[in-house]
Amino acid sequence: MLKFALRRLAGSVPLLLVISVLVFMLAKQMPGDGLGGGLNPGNKDPRYITEMREKLGYGDPLVIQYIRWLKDAATGHFGQSFLYKMPVGELIGQRLPATLLLTALSLLITYGSSLALGMIAGRNPGSRLDRLIRTAAYVTYAIPTFIAAIFAIYIFAVVLRWVPLGGTVSVVTSGGLSALGDRLVHALLPAAVLGLFNTAAYTLFLRTEIVENSGKNYVRTAVAKGISRSSVYNRHILRNSLIPLVTFLGMDIGALVGGSVVIENLFAYPGIGTLFTAAVSGRDYAVMMAVTLMTGFMIVAGNVVADVLYGWLDPRIRAGYNGGRS
Amino acid sequence: MNNRYIDRILAPLLFVMMLLTACSGAGAPDNRSGNEPSSLAAGTEGEPRAGGTVTYGFPSPFKGLFEPAFYEGEDDLRVLEFITEPLFTVKDDLTTVPGIASWQESADHKTFTFKIKHGVHWQNGDELTVEDWKFALEVIADPNYAGPRYYSVEMIEGADAYHTGKAKQISGIRVIDPYTLELRVTAARVNTIDNLWAYPMNKRYFAGVAVKDMPNSTQVRKAPIGIGPFQVTNIQPGEFVEMTRFDKYYKGKPLLDGVLYKVFDDKMITSLFEQGVIDMEQAPRDAYESLNKLDHITLMQSPDLSYEYIGFKFGHWDDKAQKIVMDNPKFRNKRLRQAMYYALDRQGIIDGFSNGLGKLAETPISSESWAKIPEDQINRYPYDPGKANELLDEAGYKDLDGDGLREDPKGAKFVIHFDGMVGGTNDEPRTEAMLQNWRAVGLDVRLNGGALKEMNTFYTMVEEDNRSVELFNGVWGLSNDPDPTGLWRENDHWNYPRWSSKENEQLIRDGISLKAYDRDYRKQVYYDWQKLINDEVPMIFFAERVTITAVNKRLQGVKINAISPIIDPYKWWIKDSE
Repeated sequence: MLKFALRRLAGSVPLLLVISVLVFMLAKQMPGDGLGGGLNPGNKDPRYITEMREKLGYGDPLVIQYIRWLKDAATGHFGQSFLYKMPVGELIGQRLPATLLLTALSLLITYGSSLALGMIAGRNPGSRLDRLIRTAAYVTYAIPTFIAAIFAIYIFAVVLRWVPLGGTVSVVTSGGLSALGDRLVHALLPAAVLGLFNTAAYTLFLRTEIVENSGKNYVRTAVAKGISRSSVYNRHILRNSLIPLVTFLGMDIGALVGGSVVIENLFAYPGIGTLFTAAVSGRDYAVMMAVTLMTGFMIVAGNVVADVLYGWLDPRIRAGYNGGRS
Repeated sequence: MNNRYIDRILAPLLFVMMLLTACSGAGAPDNRSGNEPSSLAAGTEGEPRAGGTVTYGFPSPFKGLFEPAFYEGEDDLRVLEFITEPLFTVKDDLTTVPGIASWQESADHKTFTFKIKHGVHWQNGDELTVEDWKFALEVIADPNYAGPRYYSVEMIEGADAYHTGKAKQISGIRVIDPYTLELRVTAARVNTIDNLWAYPMNKRYFAGVAVKDMPNSTQVRKAPIGIGPFQVTNIQPGEFVEMTRFDKYYKGKPLLDGVLYKVFDDKMITSLFEQGVIDMEQAPRDAYESLNKLDHITLMQSPDLSYEYIGFKFGHWDDKAQKIVMDNPKFRNKRLRQAMYYALDRQGIIDGFSNGLGKLAETPISSESWAKIPEDQINRYPYDPGKANELLDEAGYKDLDGDGLREDPKGAKFVIHFDGMVGGTNDEPRTEAMLQNWRAVGLDVRLNGGALKEMNTFYTMVEEDNRSVELFNGVWGLSNDPDPTGLWRENDHWNYPRWSSKENEQLIRDGISLKAYDRDYRKQVYYDWQKLINDEVPMIFFAERVTITAVNKRLQGVKINAISPIIDPYKWWIKDSE
């Protein structure tokens, strides 16, 4: 299985190359280069701009610029952020922990609550509880994330003041374990909102799967064999119903790095998402490239994880790992 | 009930403020119009007392380049304004006067002798000497310097040789003693001091850091020091900067214990002020109405050093000759341009779409500047469709086919394309209102490509003189010195309208000539230049933008001007809530 995973990851290299070419060319096609426009004539000495454009090599043919970037990237140098004037690696290192905490927490909330809610609803289809969960899920599903975010901020951070408003840490921290707790509290609301949409969707998926599976022959067999109802649900039905969710998990792992652009901006939560929007509007090519590639790589990696999980859930899929190739 | 109360109190107050502005503007140009209402609105209640911290808000993550020579945006500048200071002071009327440094100018205006105050301290305990200033000038002139400020040292003799690596020293800088510096410039320019770099950099603190590594050094990113009233104690990148008072500040111990500079999202700004989370922030104009309803918040207004304009394209930029070429005949008729000015209901648009936050402007010099021409000496182009129709008829733009739209003097269809930027929520209806104004006088003005453009796209098209760009709605910043060089000469790349004239060139040259050392002469030159621009209308000056700064009334001693909302923060203090 390890071999399989490694092979899949290695296979992602050409894909990442294609992504990098596309992103590079598209980014360069955007009008402006971060040096034009602007407001302040004092900062806009034409000679400075010409000098900078020359220094940054913006005048060279795109292919040459790309190859220069690729050469550096191959040796692990993703360049200097034009906007922040620091190495991209360092910049991302500064922002990544906050984003990872946010998205991981959001994954936890999403999968935890959708598993619980989906199972409850799926076990008692048609019941009042089921209808309540379904209605709630549909309503949540219909609310755009950014609207939910603004409402959540207003209710929980402004009116009730249960959670802090914006940022990733409090101004006064004592360090140690409480510092981690402080970061968690800051990430809680954005993570919940970020997971809201998916929670609703997954709850509904899982519920449908469970309802559908519980009518299948193997369930009737198991019940006839005298296995207890809860054991049938938890072992047989749940395991089979999880397969579609695993596909989503693969993508969600990919989204760990780049999936919170909107939320981070709304919550003034400085992570990779806010960095990316700033990079796009400021034409910070080095940062744009690094973030998109990182996201691309994470999506590939997430899919590998999903494939491995499929095999664990369903041995028939596992058999396919070796078939055909070896 | 509360709201009605506010309305009753505020409406007359606003009226008085407007009256004051109007009076001081017309009667006594020396009486700075913008500040009267702001200091009035701020109110000073009780005796200043020490203690407490305030939170200063900002709407987007800062970059963290906390050194004046390197910062690029307002995000970092706001922090710098708390922690450091330039050696000269810029007054409210935008003139530069001695501060920490004072100077004497030689008869040929080429040699300056600067003396700095004794006993000014850096926040690490070092005393400020002219070596620190010399060091800053050298950093900016360094061949490896990658910031945007070289223009502020290039007038120094020998800076060019140093910048290109031909010299090891800048020959024009001579340290006489730790408090005296002699500076020679390449030519006499009346605005040398206004343009000269005035922030020192602690030479000892930066010892061993190469210029190219400075932007990412600990000294800039993690532990910046300055000579200002507050010192940085904690930086959380992109989130907040904690500052505490600096007791050895040369103007005296600050009253506040500290300042917290923190990033918040703009959408929540009203709630944040309501809850007292933020004490002060430059608020978005969209939030004006809701903030105005809070009775513990003072909204201070100040004209921004920027103006909105609608430019006409007269030609293109010749890159080889580095010069404009006026080869587009579309707007050559002056009466057409003037008619388009008269046809615009600028005040109506500002009232309707920007909460009245804009100050009509007819010339590109800040209303705060000593060089601004009094309003009664120029044509203010009041909204007058009748006059616009008259001018268009005279100019030969007549409706020949009876469709309500004018044809050009040759009888051909006359369509004008308009370009603008997307930004705030109101931009589309606002643009539509302008187009309607012009249609009402029979001019077929249409949105180029059917939509407003994203900022980068807009400026790229305007800058490269894209053929489809005819009329463009942009914004320019203004510098303290009124010299229009850089935007208005025929060899200025940023002269977007690509307009100039003999008289224009002559007046701009006169304004920085040797004779202009006589302030009255210089003022007269700029009056004449503004009259010329006012009559020629190379662009329709729409309005000066007005910034609003919201301040919690518990915070006292705040004063703002066109340059900054943070002026002498060591005087700020917190009123007891009880």
